[in-house]
Amino acid sequence: MEFVDTRKLQLQQQLQQQPQPQEQHFHVLAVDDSVIDRKLLERLLRGSSCKVTCVDSGDKALKYLGLVDDLHDTTSSTSLDSSSSPPPQPLQEEGMKVNLIMTDYCMPGMSGYDLLKRVKGSSWKDVPVVIMSSENVPSRISMCLEGGAEEFLLKPLQLSDLDKLQSYFVKSLENSCEKESVNSSIDSENDNVIINISNHNHNSNSVSKRKAISAESHQERSRTKMKELAVV
Amino acid sequence: MDKIHSHRQVAAIKHSLFDQGYLDEQFIQLEELQDDANPNFVEEIVTLYYRDSSRLISNLDHTLERNPLDFNKLDTLMHQFKGSSSSIGAKRVKAECTLFREYCRARNGEGCRRSFQQMKKEYATLRKKLETYFQLARQAGPLETAYRPK
Repeated sequence: MEFVDTRKLQLQQQLQQQPQPQEQHFHVLAVDDSVIDRKLLERLLRGSSCKVTCVDSGDKALKYLGLVDDLHDTTSSTSLDSSSSPPPQPLQEEGMKVNLIMTDYCMPGMSGYDLLKRVKGSSWKDVPVVIMSSENVPSRISMCLEGGAEEFLLKPLQLSDLDKLQSYFVKSLENSCEKESVNSSIDSENDNVIINISNHNHNSNSVSKRKAISAESHQERSRTKMKELAVV
Repeated sequence: MDKIHSHRQVAAIKHSLFDQGYLDEQFIQLEELQDDANPNFVEEIVTLYYRDSSRLISNLDHTLERNPLDFNKLDTLMHQFKGSSSSIGAKRVKAECTLFREYCRARNGEGCRRSFQQMKKEYATLRKKLETYFQLARQAGPLETAYRPK
């Protein structure tokens, strides 16, 4: 018991000493051309203690992720952007990670599906992408899921939809916590103990919830797929 | 005593808005998002809706004046407007939007114009009712103060 406590103390000290890249806030990039839906999404996510960055188009999302050169963009920019607010600073300049991308499907210019494919073909391919749509079109849903989307949510979004996303919140924070432990500059013996402690802390709080949600989201997806079969 | 009466009034108005089908479950979702940190969330998002959608409506108006009608454009515009209306729980407005889109798909210009006029009526009626509702809710103040002993 004492052994564990000492190691835990060391971990705390070590984390305090290391420059933290950012607060451990889950960062969501929200993409939607509707200002009302952006406001709703922002409120829902902030209520779950997420940091939210909103953009009103796929082009702006790509720019934010650093996937579009400004030079290229001036020749091919869409004239359909309705936002009058300045775009957010590109991520690299802010030094922040994106843990989840939530995008509307139907948008002028680049669709949510187009954005999904661009992201999945980039250095951001491991970031989960969730697609939202007001229309329940089974072929659209399966196309997005097959294209690599983690979830397909129907609008308008509700608090209960956030439950489906909870597993991503935990998973991603766990991964980043493990990475920090691995990258720490303490000896390997301590590494193992500290990783075990951080895993234990996360797992004990969330493993059953995560399982339930994973089961649920699998059910949702298979329900959706079954719906698709029925229509066909 | 007055405060309690005001709260009952506010509750009655809300009840009738749901009863008469002006609002649906999504509005309740919005209210659940209102808390101490976001005390005016519902009114803010409804205000934003009326501001943002007026642009869509005038766009639709202009597009309906064209000859021949561009049904694809009309459908796209209405899709956006329907989405916003749905997000705030505007049930009757949303129903007219659905009807409008069906007329678009059927390439029925007269039907489009008719349902558009009807939608605007519902839109205006809802606006007035919500304005009254928010005004009374503001006057009534937070529920706790109504029951605080003097």
